[in-house]
Amino acid sequence: MTSTVLFYLLQFLILASALGVVLIPNPIYCALMLAVSMIGISALFFSLEAYFVAGVQLIVYAGAVMVLFVMVIMLFNLKNEVVAFSKGLLSKVLKVSLSVLIFALIASSLSMSFADLNSSQLQPYESAMRSVKELSALLFTKYIFAFEAISILLILVVVGAVSLARAKGGTHASDK
Amino acid sequence: MRMDAMEAAINALKLVVIFGMMIQAVPLLVWLERRGSAFIQHRFGPNRVGPLGLLQLLADAVKFINKEEFVPGKGHRLLFFLAPILAMMPGALAVLAIPFSTPIEIAAFDFAGSTWGPYLLKVQGADIPLGIIYIFGVSSLATYPLLLAGWGSSNKFSLMGALRASAQMISYELAMGLAVVGVMIIYGTFYLNEMIDMQQGPMNFMFMGKEVIFPYLPNWGIFYQPLGFLLFLVCSYAEANRLPFDLPEAEGELVAGYHTEYGGFKMLMFFIGEYGHMIVSSSVVIIFYFGGYLIPFLSTEDLRQLLTGFVGEGAMLSLATSLVYLLSFIIKLVIFLWVFIWVRWSLPRFRYDQLMDLGWKTMLPWGLLNTFVTMLLVYLAHG
Repeated sequence: MTSTVLFYLLQFLILASALGVVLIPNPIYCALMLAVSMIGISALFFSLEAYFVAGVQLIVYAGAVMVLFVMVIMLFNLKNEVVAFSKGLLSKVLKVSLSVLIFALIASSLSMSFADLNSSQLQPYESAMRSVKELSALLFTKYIFAFEAISILLILVVVGAVSLARAKGGTHASDK
Repeated sequence: MRMDAMEAAINALKLVVIFGMMIQAVPLLVWLERRGSAFIQHRFGPNRVGPLGLLQLLADAVKFINKEEFVPGKGHRLLFFLAPILAMMPGALAVLAIPFSTPIEIAAFDFAGSTWGPYLLKVQGADIPLGIIYIFGVSSLATYPLLLAGWGSSNKFSLMGALRASAQMISYELAMGLAVVGVMIIYGTFYLNEMIDMQQGPMNFMFMGKEVIFPYLPNWGIFYQPLGFLLFLVCSYAEANRLPFDLPEAEGELVAGYHTEYGGFKMLMFFIGEYGHMIVSSSVVIIFYFGGYLIPFLSTEDLRQLLTGFVGEGAMLSLATSLVYLLSFIIKLVIFLWVFIWVRWSLPRFRYDQLMDLGWKTMLPWGLLNTFVTMLLVYLAHG
């Protein structure tokens, strides 16, 4: 009973803050809303007893990635660019088609991964430590290729970002 | 795990008591900080109000509450008020997962016409599975209040301080995480209680299939992870934004950093957050590296036998054991908090580039090395 109430409360919090990300014009409040929604997702994992995933969600997304977002937005005071980016027919078409594409991608991958899975196969682990061990065993054996591919992709992105910033003068470039 | 009404009420009360303990420790720590700094610098410090100047805390509290309510004219009101409230939360949430002592057993008893119990009361806010992950997850949110304070104040110095604070905390979180990985490899668990249990008795471990025992050393984590301990301690100073890492509030350059525009009780709430962070990281250091609430050279069995002579068997015995262990934990905690204060008044501040170099070019490689060596040794020991 309490867990159901908690579940719906968290759902409401996550959805409301996710809507806030899209609807609020001020980028700072948007980023903070996204952080709230990520904390909500972590709390949801926690209430479903997926403690490790909940903690990682907090540490990596809410604690590091979103902090960097907020920091960058504060450094560059993005207020003026909001208007310029949101106007025009072309950008509208682009935005709608991109969101439809992303939605289709997520929906299809979800339905594909749930297609050959029935709930009788899903057994809860006897302890939280056990689930962490299972998870790491899967990550380092069955999904090792995807795991390494993602880490290479991340390194590429970091190096690319640094080289792009360097090409334009790095942190010492003058504001024109 | 089903709880009846009594147990739920006791647990709720326990949360309040632990939160109150954390809040009440703050004025004492402020007093210790001021008297300690005076002692280190050959001054007197606050010694006029009450015995040893202890009532100064009360006078300070009255002063803080009576100060003028001030919001910067161009500040963001919502964020400005939200920041100090959020500043208290990470410390208060993380302290809940820390085991202060062994559980107290209460036998079944009659109360208000029905039988209750038996109960096992943990001297811990909540025994959260994977306690380490929870503590670090909650503590990693401590950056937001600083950022909100910096942005909400609409002040250059505040914003600079907030940006410095967040950059610093993210940089040092990596090395801290690596130090914790070493600890997790050694103990093979995420549970804080299990970690403490493993540090019982004299130092002993398996090496190349043989058991090695050092009877003159307790089985504490620091003897297995000396480098990890050093990394963790330095990172926890950096995360708490205290000297030598107090760049975010460097008063020579930034007035007071992110809390420049704050006064009165709002500023006190930032202080509570900072001291809460100190309490949590000192407790975690004790649990990882110094045997938690355990007493060196005295096993739980011996302690229970010793106490049986005074209080007899049963519920009183578990209560007495728990109290002795609580005292042992508090003594260790006070020592580590004192080290925090001692370091603050002994070391000069880093320059900003030195701070980043230390974080990324020194601590991170040493952390990786520590993880690798630990993995190798554990593999050898088990193989």
